[in-house]
Amino acid sequence: MIEIEVAIPLSRFRLEVAATLPADTVAVLGPSGSGKTSLLEAIAGLRPKASGRVTIRGERVMDTAAGVKPPPELRRIGYVPQDACLFPHLNVADNVRFGMARKNGASLFEEAVRILEIAPLLARYPATLSGGERQRVALARAIATEPRLLLLDEPLAAVDPALRGRILPYLLRVRESLGVPFLYVTHNAGEARAVAEAAIVLRSGSVTFAGTPEAALEMMSADEDPEARFDNIFSGVLEASGAAGESGLLRIGDARLVVPADKDAVSGARAVYSVAPEDVLVSTKPLEGVSARNVHPGRVVSVTAAGADAWIGIAAAGVEWTARLTRTATDVLGLEKGVDVWIAVKTQAFHRLR
Amino acid sequence: MAEVSDGSILLLTLRVAAIATLAILPIGVFVAWKLARHEGAARTLLETLLSLPLVLPPTAVGLLLLEMLRRSGPLARLLDRLGIEVLFTWKAVVLATAVMSFPLLVRPARTAFEEVEPRLLAMGRSLGCGPFAVFRRVALPLAWRGLLSGTLLAFSRALGEFGATIMIAGNIPGRTQTMALAIFHRNQLGQNDAAFRLVAITVVIAFAVVWTTEIITRRRSHRTET
Repeated sequence: MIEIEVAIPLSRFRLEVAATLPADTVAVLGPSGSGKTSLLEAIAGLRPKASGRVTIRGERVMDTAAGVKPPPELRRIGYVPQDACLFPHLNVADNVRFGMARKNGASLFEEAVRILEIAPLLARYPATLSGGERQRVALARAIATEPRLLLLDEPLAAVDPALRGRILPYLLRVRESLGVPFLYVTHNAGEARAVAEAAIVLRSGSVTFAGTPEAALEMMSADEDPEARFDNIFSGVLEASGAAGESGLLRIGDARLVVPADKDAVSGARAVYSVAPEDVLVSTKPLEGVSARNVHPGRVVSVTAAGADAWIGIAAAGVEWTARLTRTATDVLGLEKGVDVWIAVKTQAFHRLR
Repeated sequence: MAEVSDGSILLLTLRVAAIATLAILPIGVFVAWKLARHEGAARTLLETLLSLPLVLPPTAVGLLLLEMLRRSGPLARLLDRLGIEVLFTWKAVVLATAVMSFPLLVRPARTAFEEVEPRLLAMGRSLGCGPFAVFRRVALPLAWRGLLSGTLLAFSRALGEFGATIMIAGNIPGRTQTMALAIFHRNQLGQNDAAFRLVAITVVIAFAVVWTTEIITRRRSHRTET
């Protein structure tokens, strides 16, 4: 349970966020400049002008009306900003140790290093790390302080899109092994769906929506928010692998998706897969004789154009897909809401997140 | 008047310059840190005041100091009560050089602190450090180059101070006569060869200090290169 009631005077508008969320993991969605980062900074205590009340699981973080406004160092909140913000003069090990309390130091450090798999990086300096490595170190540094809340500000934005799928599992692991509540700022609808139980949408400093991530995404795509990126994230149950174990099946409701074989997979286990929107092929004619194993008829439910790109929402095989096309391709195919299409997705386009 | 050796003049000069630099170092770093983190009219005013010794004639600064240290002033009375005699002693040389060198320490130090990304400081706070711990663990290690070059600049300025020193410390061989004063003095007495010996020494020292400063400020740390 996270309760937020915060006001901050900003130069463009007055940020006023009020939300009571019956969840410990909350995605904060909304376009650039809607006040998402300011909200996180206020909760972390980095905005002196912020006022209001924040409680996490009944614990009071701040309550300015009651005169409770602790400085950031006393809040026990782990903040992971977009650019990681690692200390350039310290190596990875010293960065992770920076905020650790003396007591329990060793075990916390080791746990953070283990969860984020950064042992091989410990002696290196931030300038030599890749974007994804930096984010993992920043996450490790935050969790090593034993925070009571994690604030994650687009932790994947600075990471190469191709590598995002590799960072997400770490986030999920942090959530599962530590059980720390968090607020997760993102543009990416798929990420929100994968990591959070609840979502709020900010627009020009106020909450325009609070509810499930799925409903938030629907609202955002209805708004044709060009900043909302849609990765396909599918959560389902694994079924016995196919012949000779060369592929697996993911059951979502009545639909079966063909996913890569995973020798560690247990039949009946829950699993989450992602598919990049670039990997979803769209055809307006029936597809036959293609090598892709996932070929399904469907219908266009939304078209979101942004710049030279278009994101096509397609209902097929009982789930909703997002395909990324160029606008030209969208026009040539005549894709618009209600058009019948076929989609094709290669088995290898599915990446297991957990 | 007994002839004072080049060596003892050099030693006196190095000693007072070192003491003056060490004395202004903590204050200068503190002031630079405060200036770097604040904006507004007060900052501009303070900065202007602190820079005055750079642009005023050193003798003018010396005369102001002399006035403050005269028997009648409050500062003079305090020193008198403590039994500290300043005027026309080596302490006066330290005071004069400290005042004149102060802006040369503060300016590069301030610039160095301004270059420390404020978000790193905020991050340090969020990770549980108080303001002083963040200063010590984040700001100082990131700004040390600027601080060191400011310190060396202040030190080299202290070595050559003349105008303010002669006003409040006089030119007493063996007691307050530094290199700069001795060069002037020897030249006045027509001892040009002796004056040039001192000039040679000052050139060597100044060269060494400025050279070191250049190297420190130019070289980038390997680990911060991408």
